[in-house]
Amino acid sequence: MSTTALLTTLQFAGVNALFALAIYASLWTGVLSLAPVFFGAVSAFTFGYVAGTLGLSPALALVVGLVLGAALGAVTAALIIRLDSHYLAMATIAMVLIGRVLIINLVEYTGGPSGTLVPGELGTWLWLIGSLVVAGYVMSRLSGSRFGLAADAVREDPAVAQTLAISPRRIQFVGFVISGALGGTAGVFQASFLQYIGPDTFYTHLGFVTLAAVVLGGAFHWAGPIVGAIVFTILPELLREPMGEYDRVVTGVALILIIIYMPRGLVDVRRLRLLRTRGRRRTPADEDPSRTGSTPATVEVAP
Amino acid sequence: MQLLAQQLVNGVALGSIYALFAVGFALILAKMGILNVAHGTFATGGALASYWLVFEHGFSFWVALAVGVVFAGALGVLADLVAFEPLRRRNAGVFAPIIASIGVWIVLLTLAEAFAGPSAVSYPAGSVPSEPLRFAGLIVLPAQVISLVALVVVVTAVHLLLTRTRFGAAVRAVAVDTRSATIVGVNSRNVLIAVAFMAAAIAGLAGVLGALSDNNVSATIGEALLLKGFAAVVVGGYGDIRGAALVGVAIGVLEVMSSQYISSGFRDAITFGVLLVVLVLRPQGLFGERQLVRA
Repeated sequence: MSTTALLTTLQFAGVNALFALAIYASLWTGVLSLAPVFFGAVSAFTFGYVAGTLGLSPALALVVGLVLGAALGAVTAALIIRLDSHYLAMATIAMVLIGRVLIINLVEYTGGPSGTLVPGELGTWLWLIGSLVVAGYVMSRLSGSRFGLAADAVREDPAVAQTLAISPRRIQFVGFVISGALGGTAGVFQASFLQYIGPDTFYTHLGFVTLAAVVLGGAFHWAGPIVGAIVFTILPELLREPMGEYDRVVTGVALILIIIYMPRGLVDVRRLRLLRTRGRRRTPADEDPSRTGSTPATVEVAP
Repeated sequence: MQLLAQQLVNGVALGSIYALFAVGFALILAKMGILNVAHGTFATGGALASYWLVFEHGFSFWVALAVGVVFAGALGVLADLVAFEPLRRRNAGVFAPIIASIGVWIVLLTLAEAFAGPSAVSYPAGSVPSEPLRFAGLIVLPAQVISLVALVVVVTAVHLLLTRTRFGAAVRAVAVDTRSATIVGVNSRNVLIAVAFMAAAIAGLAGVLGALSDNNVSATIGEALLLKGFAAVVVGGYGDIRGAALVGVAIGVLEVMSSQYISSGFRDAITFGVLLVVLVLRPQGLFGERQLVRA
C-alpha cells in the first residue's frame, strides 16, 4: 500500500472512530443503537445544502453538525428510549433505512439518487485530529464523572442502578444526546472527506462496520472504539491486495471470532489490570509456577 | 375497481413472500433470542442454489426449489454451530449474538456477491411455471399462487408443530429457559439446531419464491426481504408467528397500494414509518402478548 493510500485510509479511520465513539456513547448506557448513522446523514446533508446555498465556514459547519445531531438525539431518545433492548435496536435500524428513502426522495435538498457535492475544507488532518482529541478528552473526563459511573451501573444492571437512585431512562437519554452530537459531527467530517455524499454513504454498511469497530476495540472503555475503528478500517485495505473481493470475508470472520473469544475487545481494562497484577506477583519471593496459574480467578474485579 | 382488485391480488402475493420470511425471522427471534441480521443471506443462499441447479444443470424447478430450501436450512445450522452456539455456551449477553450475526451476514453476503456476480439474472424461460391464469378479469401469475399456498401451508404447519406436538413443547420450553428445559429431559442442543434449520429453510423458501416472482436472482435478494420481514415481525410481534405472517401480507398490500395511489418513491418510507409509529405506540407489537420480565 502506498503512503498516500495509507494516509487516506487513516483519515477515514479517524471519521469511523468518531462514528464508533457515537455508538459507544449509547452502548455505554446499555443501549445498542445504529442511530448515529442517521444523525450523521442528516447533519451531512444539511451541511451540504446550507454550504451549497448560503455558504458556511468550516467551524460553523462543525457546530451545526454537532448541535443538529444532539437535538436529533434528544428527540429520538424522547420517543424510543423506553423500548426493550431488541426493539430499540430495531427502531434505530429502521431509522437508518428510512433515512435512505428520504435522501432518495427529497431530491430538492439532497440531490436524490445522484447525491450531492460538499465542500471539503474540513477534510484536513488538523480538524480531524483536533475533533478526535476533544471527543476523546470529553469521553475520558466523563468516564470518571458521576454520569460515567451511573452509566456503568445502568449498563450492568438497570434494576440495581434504580435502587441506587439512578434513573436509567435519564442516563440513557443523556447517552443518546452525546451519541447524537458525536454522530452529527462525524457526518459532517465524512461529507468533507468524501466531498460527495449519496444515499448509500450513510447506510447499514457504515453502521455495521462502526459497530464492529466498537466491538473489536472494546465497548467498555472510551479508547476501544478509536482503536477498533483504526484497525477495522486499515485491515480490509491491507487485505484487499492478497484477498481480492474476499477481503470482507476476513472482516466478518474476525468479528465472529472476537465476539466469541475476546468479548471485551482489544482495549480491555480489566484484563490489563489483571496482567499487571500478575506481573507484580511474580516477584522472586513467591516464584511458584503452580500458583500463578490459579491467581487470575481471585484477582478478577469489575472495572 | 378492476385495478384495485388486481393490485390487491398483487399485494397479497408480494406480502406472502414477506410473511414467509417474517415467519422464519420471528422463529429465530422468539425461540432462540437472536436478532439475526444474517437471515436475509439465508434467503439469498436458497435462491442462488436453486438458480444454479436450474441454469447450470437443467434440473426441474421443483427439485431446485427443494434443494434450495434444504441448502438455506444447512446455512442456518452452520451459522448456528459456528457463531451462536459458542456464545450460548459462554452465556454472552443480549448484544453478542446480534454482533455475531452481523459477522455471518458480512461473510455470506460477500460470498453470495462473488458467486452471483454484479449482474442480475433470471431463471431461464420455460424452466419455471409462468403461464398466467385468468380469473374473473384478473391476471394471476403461477408464482403468486405458489407464494400464497406456500405461506398458508408453512404457517399452519409451523403453528401446529409449535402448539400441538411434543417437539413444539420442547421448543417452547427451550425458548423460556434452556437449562430448566434440559433438567426436564429436553435435548436443548438438538431442539435449537432443529429450530435454526427450520427458520433458515423457510427463509430459503421465501428467497426462491421471491426470485421466481420478480423473475430476478441476485445477491441482494435477501436484503430487501430482511427489511420487510423485520418490519413485519416488529409490527406483528414475534410471540405468535401468525401475527407476523398477517402483518407481512399487510405490508405487501400497503406497499403495492401506496405505490399505486400515493408515490412509488416513498413506498419504503411508508412501510418503515408505520413500523416506527407502531414501535413507539405499541412496543410489544400489534398482536404481541405482554411479557412479564423479572429484573
